Amino acid sequence: MSGNLLHRPSIFRRPDGIGGALPALILIILFFVVPVVALLLRSVTEPVPGLQNYATLFGDGTYARVFFNTFLVATVVTAVTVIVAFPVAWMLAIMPPTLGSIVFGIIILSMWTNLLTRTYAWMVLLQRTGVINRTLMDIGLISQPLPLINNLTGVTIGMVYIMLPFMILPLVGTLRAIDPMTLRAAALCGASPLEAFRRILLPLSLPGIAAGGLMVFVMSLGYFVTPTLLGGTSNMMLAAMIAQMIQSLLNWGLGSAAAFILLVVTMALYALQLRLVGAKRMTGGI
Amino acid sequence: MLLDYDRLGGLRTALLGFTGLVAAFLLLPVIFIVLLSFGSSRWLAFPPPGWTLKWYEELFADPAWLEAALTSARIATMAAILAVVIGLLASFALVRGQFRGRNTLRGLLLTPMVLPVVVFAIAIYAFFLRIGLGGTTAGFIIAHTVLALPFAIIPITAALEGFDKSIEDAAIVCGASPFEAKLRVTLPAIKIEIFSAAIFAFLASWDEVVVAIFMASPTLQTLPVKIWGSLRQDLSPVIAAASSLLVLLTLSLMIVTALIRRKLSK
Repeated sequence: MSGNLLHRPSIFRRPDGIGGALPALILIILFFVVPVVALLLRSVTEPVPGLQNYATLFGDGTYARVFFNTFLVATVVTAVTVIVAFPVAWMLAIMPPTLGSIVFGIIILSMWTNLLTRTYAWMVLLQRTGVINRTLMDIGLISQPLPLINNLTGVTIGMVYIMLPFMILPLVGTLRAIDPMTLRAAALCGASPLEAFRRILLPLSLPGIAAGGLMVFVMSLGYFVTPTLLGGTSNMMLAAMIAQMIQSLLNWGLGSAAAFILLVVTMALYALQLRLVGAKRMTGGI
Repeated sequence: MLLDYDRLGGLRTALLGFTGLVAAFLLLPVIFIVLLSFGSSRWLAFPPPGWTLKWYEELFADPAWLEAALTSARIATMAAILAVVIGLLASFALVRGQFRGRNTLRGLLLTPMVLPVVVFAIAIYAFFLRIGLGGTTAGFIIAHTVLALPFAIIPITAALEGFDKSIEDAAIVCGASPFEAKLRVTLPAIKIEIFSAAIFAFLASWDEVVVAIFMASPTLQTLPVKIWGSLRQDLSPVIAAASSLLVLLTLSLMIVTALIRRKLSK
C-alpha cells in the first residue's frame, strides 16, 4: 500500500517534457528560421560583402518616399481604425445578445471573406466610374470624379476595411471586463457623461486600444495585397517594394536588406506589444 | 452609466446608429460583389442594366478556375491537418511542460503569425529554389503549415489551460495509460477548440496570397493566385462570380461551424 502511495506522485506529476513540441520546433527552425536568416545574410553578401545595400536604401530619395508612405498609411489607418472601432466595440460590449450576434455575424463574415474578394470589391467601388463617384455626381456633390483609387486614399479606405475586425473584437473583450459599477459610481458622484468617459471609460479601455492599435499598425506596415492593388505603382508601400525588388528586378541583396528593415521594425513593435499586454492576452483574441 | 445599455439615453441612439453604419460598411462590399456577379454589364455598371448568369458560365467553362480551386482545397486540407496535429502535440508541451525557455518557445512558434508574410514569402521562395521544392505541392504544403501553425496552437493552448488536469489524472488512477487518458478524456474535452483550430488553419492556407504568388508555377497555382492574376489584367465580372462562390463558401463554413460548435458543446 505504502509503495503505491509513493509511486503515485511520480505518475501524476510526470510533466510533459519538451518532446511534444519537437515536431513543431523542427518545422519552424528548418522552414522558417533558417530561410529567413539565410535571406537576411544575402542583404550583406550580395552583390559583394558589405553594407552597401543599406546605404543605398537609406541614401536614396525614392526609397525614403516608400518608407514615408508606409509609415504614413500605417499611422492613418491605425488612427481611423481605432476611432471607428471604439464606439462599435462599446455598443457590442453592452448590446442585447440577439442584436449583438447580428453585428458579430457581419464582422465575422467580412473577416472570413477572401481577402482578394474584399479588395476586388473596393477596386470596383472606388474606380472613376464606380458607384461611389457616380452617386456623388448624381446628387451633385461633385462635378468631376474623385481620384479614389491608385493613390493613398484608396489604400487607406481598403486597409481600414480589412483592419476593423482586428480592432473591434479584442476591444469588446476589454470593454466587457470593465465593471459598469465604476461608471455608475462616477455618475452618482456627479460626473457628467463626458467626464466619466474621459476619466474612467477611456483610461480603463486604454490597454485594449493600445494592444489592438499596435497590432493594426504592425499588420499595416507589412501589408502587401491591398496596398498593391489599390495604391497603384506610384504609391508603393514597403512590402510591395520588397516583392518587386525580388520578383521583377531580381535584386536579392537590396530586397533582403529592405526585408530586414521591415522585420526589425515589426519585431521591435511586437516586443513592445508583448510588454504592454502580455503574450496571453494578446493572443487570446482569436 | 456609460456601460448600462438601458440608461444611455440619447447617446445610445447615436452610438447604435454609428454601429449600424459600420456594420453596413463591412457588409455592403460583400453584397455588392454578389449582385455584380449577376449583372449583365461587362464594365460592372451598378445598378446593373440587366441580370445574367453568363459570368458563371464563363467561370465554369474555364477549367483553370476549377483546377485552381481543387489545388487550393488539397493544399489547405493537408496544411490544416499537419498544423493541427503538430500544434496539438506542441500545445501539450507548451501548457504542461516544465522546461527552461518554455515562453521563448511559445513566442518562436507563434512568430510566423507576426512576421510580415512578404518577408517569409521571399525567404521560403529562395530556400525552396535551392533545395528543389520550388513550385511543388509539397513546398506549398510545408510553407502553409508554417503559417497555419500559430492559428492551431493559440486555440488549443487556450483550451488546455482551461482544462482541469486532475480529470485526466483520475482516468490514470482508474487504470488508463497516460496516452489513453489523453486520447479518451482530454481530447474529447477540448474538441471544440481543436475544431476551431482546424478551421482557422484551413482558412490561413486557403486565403493565403503572398507566399502563393511566389511559389506558384504555370502548372501549379492556387485559387488566390488565379484571382490575383486575373485582377492584374482587368476587373472582369468573372472574378465577381468566383468571389461570390467564395462568399457562399464562407457563409456555409460559418453556419457549419456554428452548428458543429452547438452540437459539440452539448
